[in-house]
Amino acid sequence: MMKKILYSFLLAVIALSGCNKALETDSTRVVGEKNMWNTVEDARAGIMGVYALTRSALSDNNGHWIYGDVRTGEFTSPKRQDLKAIISNNLNASYPVVESLSDWTRFYAIVNGANVFLENVAHVKATDKRYSDNNMTVDIAQARFLRAFAYFYMVRIWGDVPFIISSNEGVFENKPRESQAKILAWVESEILRAAADLPYIYSGGDIQQPSNYYNEDRTRWGGALATKVTAYAVLAHVAAWTADYSNVAKYAKFVEDNYGKSGGGFTSSQDLSNSNGFFYNKNFRQMFGFNSDYGHIDGSSTGHIEELTLAEPITTKAIPDIYLPKDSILKYFNWPNDERFAVDTLGQSKYDRYFTNLNGKYPIFSKIKVIQGGTTDPNFRYFTSALIFTRLEDIVLLRAEALSVLGDQEGAANELLNVLLRRTVAGSSFSFNLNDDILKMIFEERHRELMGEGQRWYDLIRYNKIRQNDAKFMNLINSGGIYWPISRKLLLQNNLLTQNPYWR
Amino acid sequence: MRYLWACLVFFAAFTLNVLPIFAAGKKLHKGLTINYLIFQDTTKIKFVPLKDSLRKDSLKQISQKTVYNKLSGGVQKDTKDLSLFPAISLQQNLKGNFAGLYVQEPSGEPGTIQNMFLRGAPMPLLSKKDVYASQPLVVLDGVPLIGEHPFAFDIQQYDFNRIGPATNLLTGIDMNNIASIEVLSDPASTAVYGPRGVNGVILLKTKAPDGVSRSISFNSYIGMAQKPVVNTINGKYENEFRQRFYDIYTTNGRYSDDEAYPVYLSDSLNNVYSGKSNWTDLYYKNALVYGINLGLTGGSDRANFRFSLGNTKSSGVADDTGLDRYSAMFNINMKPVKWLLFSAMINGNRLNRDRNRTLRDRFAQINYFPDLSAPLAPNKDYYASYLNSYSKGFDDNKTNSIQGFAKLVATFGKFNISSSFNVDYNEGYRDIFYARTLLQGNSYASNYYGFNQRLMMENKASYDLKLKEVHDFHFELGQSMIWDIYKYNYAYAYKGANDYIKINLLDSKPKNDDGSDNPNYLVPTAFPRELTYRFLDKTADNLLSFYGKVNYSYNDKYFLSGILRADGSSNAQPTKRWFYSPTVSAAWNIKNELLKDEKFIDDLVLRASAGRMGRAFTFDNYAQGPQYSASVGYTGNLTVPGYNAIGVLTRPYSFGWVGYGVPWSYSDQLNIGADVAMLKNRLHVAVDFYTKAEKNQLLGIPSYAEYGYKQSIESGLDMSNTGVDLTISALVIAKSKFSWNSSLNLNHNSNKLTALPRGLNEIIIGNRFLKVGEPVDQYWLLENEGIYTANSQVPVVNGQPLKYNGTPLKAGDPKWKDQNGDNIIDERDKVLKGHSLPVLAGGFDNSFRYGSWTLNTNLYFNLGRKIINEEMANRFDFVNHEGNTDVSSVKEITFWEKRGDYSKYPLYNPWSTVIPYRTDQDLFLENGSFLKLRSVSVGYDFGNFLKRKNIKVNKIYVYGSVNNVFVITKYTGQDPELVGYDGIDTGYGQPIPRTYTLGVKMEL
Repeated sequence: MMKKILYSFLLAVIALSGCNKALETDSTRVVGEKNMWNTVEDARAGIMGVYALTRSALSDNNGHWIYGDVRTGEFTSPKRQDLKAIISNNLNASYPVVESLSDWTRFYAIVNGANVFLENVAHVKATDKRYSDNNMTVDIAQARFLRAFAYFYMVRIWGDVPFIISSNEGVFENKPRESQAKILAWVESEILRAAADLPYIYSGGDIQQPSNYYNEDRTRWGGALATKVTAYAVLAHVAAWTADYSNVAKYAKFVEDNYGKSGGGFTSSQDLSNSNGFFYNKNFRQMFGFNSDYGHIDGSSTGHIEELTLAEPITTKAIPDIYLPKDSILKYFNWPNDERFAVDTLGQSKYDRYFTNLNGKYPIFSKIKVIQGGTTDPNFRYFTSALIFTRLEDIVLLRAEALSVLGDQEGAANELLNVLLRRTVAGSSFSFNLNDDILKMIFEERHRELMGEGQRWYDLIRYNKIRQNDAKFMNLINSGGIYWPISRKLLLQNNLLTQNPYWR
Repeated sequence: MRYLWACLVFFAAFTLNVLPIFAAGKKLHKGLTINYLIFQDTTKIKFVPLKDSLRKDSLKQISQKTVYNKLSGGVQKDTKDLSLFPAISLQQNLKGNFAGLYVQEPSGEPGTIQNMFLRGAPMPLLSKKDVYASQPLVVLDGVPLIGEHPFAFDIQQYDFNRIGPATNLLTGIDMNNIASIEVLSDPASTAVYGPRGVNGVILLKTKAPDGVSRSISFNSYIGMAQKPVVNTINGKYENEFRQRFYDIYTTNGRYSDDEAYPVYLSDSLNNVYSGKSNWTDLYYKNALVYGINLGLTGGSDRANFRFSLGNTKSSGVADDTGLDRYSAMFNINMKPVKWLLFSAMINGNRLNRDRNRTLRDRFAQINYFPDLSAPLAPNKDYYASYLNSYSKGFDDNKTNSIQGFAKLVATFGKFNISSSFNVDYNEGYRDIFYARTLLQGNSYASNYYGFNQRLMMENKASYDLKLKEVHDFHFELGQSMIWDIYKYNYAYAYKGANDYIKINLLDSKPKNDDGSDNPNYLVPTAFPRELTYRFLDKTADNLLSFYGKVNYSYNDKYFLSGILRADGSSNAQPTKRWFYSPTVSAAWNIKNELLKDEKFIDDLVLRASAGRMGRAFTFDNYAQGPQYSASVGYTGNLTVPGYNAIGVLTRPYSFGWVGYGVPWSYSDQLNIGADVAMLKNRLHVAVDFYTKAEKNQLLGIPSYAEYGYKQSIESGLDMSNTGVDLTISALVIAKSKFSWNSSLNLNHNSNKLTALPRGLNEIIIGNRFLKVGEPVDQYWLLENEGIYTANSQVPVVNGQPLKYNGTPLKAGDPKWKDQNGDNIIDERDKVLKGHSLPVLAGGFDNSFRYGSWTLNTNLYFNLGRKIINEEMANRFDFVNHEGNTDVSSVKEITFWEKRGDYSKYPLYNPWSTVIPYRTDQDLFLENGSFLKLRSVSVGYDFGNFLKRKNIKVNKIYVYGSVNNVFVITKYTGQDPELVGYDGIDTGYGQPIPRTYTLGVKMEL
């Protein structure tokens, strides 16, 4: 019997040493610092994380479209009180969505994600031989690009924002807001620097990215990652925002000359609005976009413009969150042969790619309607459309705008026609004369072409800055009312911040 | 406080006047002290001969208990009375019966989660995670039970229910198997349980075989839960309610040109909404409750057992809810040799739960909101069609749980070694299929399987030493290792092929017929692969502990005890893995020392204990320090798997920043108490003053937004709970024919925030405001002072009208008090008001006996507690709760029930962008104090009758009871108990029904 006791004591001793080990378990839910940045998979997870954070920041509460399309006041919201407040430019209204959209935390997550990546990726290089120099160069360029893009996006919404380009981990310090101009100058140089290293195409035999990127083929990456062309397209937008139109023309020209190398191209009217067309999953024409690939189980009922715009008869939802009233539709779509949308002499839709149910109570803006796997099933509001920041048509029109501002109306008209001819029935002809307001026509075309892609608000600002003839809007620009208020939560957290004066 | 004084005065008057009259002369009724003796369990000793048997061991336990109870103020209760209440959960049994133990019952739906707080909540309850971390430890025969882990909330947009069956695990305890319940709340008694017991310990002791008698026990009851009487309303009524606002604030019946008035209200001829509102016929029903438990005890001195089987059903009165429990329990004790005792127990339960059919819970579960422009109709015929389409699917919730231990105790004279292995394992399944008719043509299937498992090895060695007959020493060394694992697999899918395939079948062939790999292996077959979501999560939490304990008593007058512990947790950071904590306790038996000859006082013990206890973290994330996770979702789509179908790792921006050097949290507790027995043991008073200082707790401080983080999780939140537990029991009348026992237990608790991380003085977290020096359970509200009926009434300073967060106030907006006078209403104008947890709570029991008849009553009360009536706020804020496809617009069938008084509230402009009917104002703050008659029971004991007839039955007790008889409260909503942990009445609580039962307790 004593033997048994002895054994059980021995067992206990063994168990105890095992116990100590049990305390040292690694979490199965999160990855600790020591287990990160060691392998090429960590680098991949890191850089894809920055993309994922960007998509989340733009999709959260449908922000990209609320900032870009809803705020202009052109759409009407029948029942969502928060959207009504935004439409009437009452951004101090205390609705959760409005409050959340004035919070920039999710954009700084992109910045921090990129900072952490940039500071640690060298460790992967040091520990994993599979991680090539080229792979690291390209990854760093993407991280730099996305970080700069996040700043560009933020200054368009809030004006001056704190400028932080290191992770400062463990010693996070609050920073005051930095002037928008300084940040934009940095953004431009940073994107240029990134553009130098970015390839035209991934896994496509580009000199700057010769092998298969992370062992996936080119179709996997087409439209999903930032290319050199993407960088120049965003540069064109940055330059336009700063009214540096000679650079807009320059950067846009680069895109026009090189989009082919990225597999890009123009999109037909039909493809633009097909539920399995341009916005479906991902493709090379998505110059800078974030896909929600159906096959990747990446769709969702929110974070897509369809959530705001679609309703009966496209989906089983009684009233859309936003709609464009019939009068406005007829005003904007004034070309008779516009394949996107046009009415016949009886007031019926001749082409209804953009709008359904024109004569109903709520005309439905149905340009983008990627339901499930590109179907027309009205019953399940599960959307997979890609969030598109820019595409070739946008850049061509941006170049038209630049040329027009710079005085080259003929060049501008040519660029405009480049888009317009693709949107009208084959054989349509346009003739411009010198008295025509080409610039206005360009912005009108931008409005039509890019409707529902989060561009309109910034177009309006640029247009009014050029024209300076809308007193109300000029007042908004001059008093900083074009920006969003800074969330009161943020002001409480960081006492170096100041509220935008317009919203005090 | 007034109530408290009233109670005290009443009680004092009673005891002083009535007691002495009956105390004098008359002989004491035997056995009456059983239930109310706090530290003397003498009755059990009586018939036990001192010989080599199992009984000796229990005897020893009893004698030790006495010493130990002089150090601690644990209140022990026999379960005989508790089991008269037709409870399905342990919490219901405990509610109102133990001073200091507060039980929340947010819904009368059987089997739903109920929260317990012992001596106040140890941390600010900011989310359900905090509630999980605040629960006391329940120990069943030495097996510390494991609870659910809140990690599943990480993938949930809404935390109404945890995914899975969400069944209250403490419904797996059949009170008929429990011999005694003891609530340990002071450090003297909880220290040995270590960090798992830092929130207090509830000890359950099962009915163990005593080795003498072979007996059969039979306990059963059957009864009915009575459906409530409610007032219903229909579309016409709601339309009229809303029209009053339109009359005031619109000229043509529309607030704006593009406004869409809900169709279901505008058509007054529509019988679906404006006809008969008789949905209650289908929703509320009288429900059956029953319980049956059969116990067998047998064996001899050296080997004996108890076996029991039971089935309990508790049906809810609303929405066809209910819980079925099947339980089996087996205890065995063996003594193969003189010095060795082997004992084991297994308690197995199966819980089947029928859940409610609320839309909110279903939409939150499926993570999709259909078009909500037409709510459920109040008409029975139309509501029936909804129920019918519901019944085409299923929602099965099953939980299996098993607890057990195997224990070896070896005794060599004064030397004692015990080693035990404890297991608690419970697994939950939830299988759902919602047919297509329920969701605009889309079916939904979901399967959940999760388990919580605790394995525990425990070894103890003790040595007793007695010197010179007066010095008693007890030395003890203990070691334990606890391995906890929590895991779940969860998947859901939309749009099945049809309504006949109700489960998400997967292709189960790993290889094709020709031997090649099947590319579709494990791909769903009946549901689209692209609409199938799968999740799994697992976390471990290991705890290694050592402790040493010395007890010393001198001549039964002085008692001293000290415990020193070392606990190592896998959830602590590697550099701070171990936590060392001492506890000392002392007691002084004044009776034995000074009052030996005092006849008036039978016993008087003064005790004190102080100690420190570690509090282990619930999440293993904290152990990692700075970390990476794969949570890159956004509002409405939290579970984004990655980017471009590639897994990602980023800093945990939504979880928050965690740095290095996070120390253990701990609790410094002090308890000073006294136990008095007076008037020939007829009056017992136990009073305990306590203070619990919770230190170094983690708090997510909203900060580092410019680094992407939602919050920074930092250590340093300190708070304290201070209060008094009072238990008085009195045998008011004790005649041979008639007796009256009365007992009162109450707890007065006040909490205070004593420090915040970084030395902050105050902090805003969401809609909560924490301020050092203030209680943490307060609401943070604007003070409402009426309404501006004209624009001219709005104060103007320097040409600027009073603004709410930048929006000028207008006619029809509320008059909120500008506390700081800066002409802006914002968060700085909110004040801390009211408490969500009661300041004073307790129970008042009376039992009367006349011959063989007994009558028991049980009153339960909460005082000093406030409730936010959110349900009412939502009804007035109809503008923001209409027609959207999100959670705010969900209207349950109970929308058609009139609750509360609508006339109390001003008619604000509901379209105003300042949201006049917001819940963060004191307009909806109500007094939530109440007094409830929880049960009245009448019983007859056939014992004497049978004895006379010479029938060999030990006991037959037949009883009838009425439970939840009435509530006295000023609260205007539903039952003031039906409130969440945050004090908000969402209206989702199902009524706690009045229940009538008839029962019998038999021992053969």
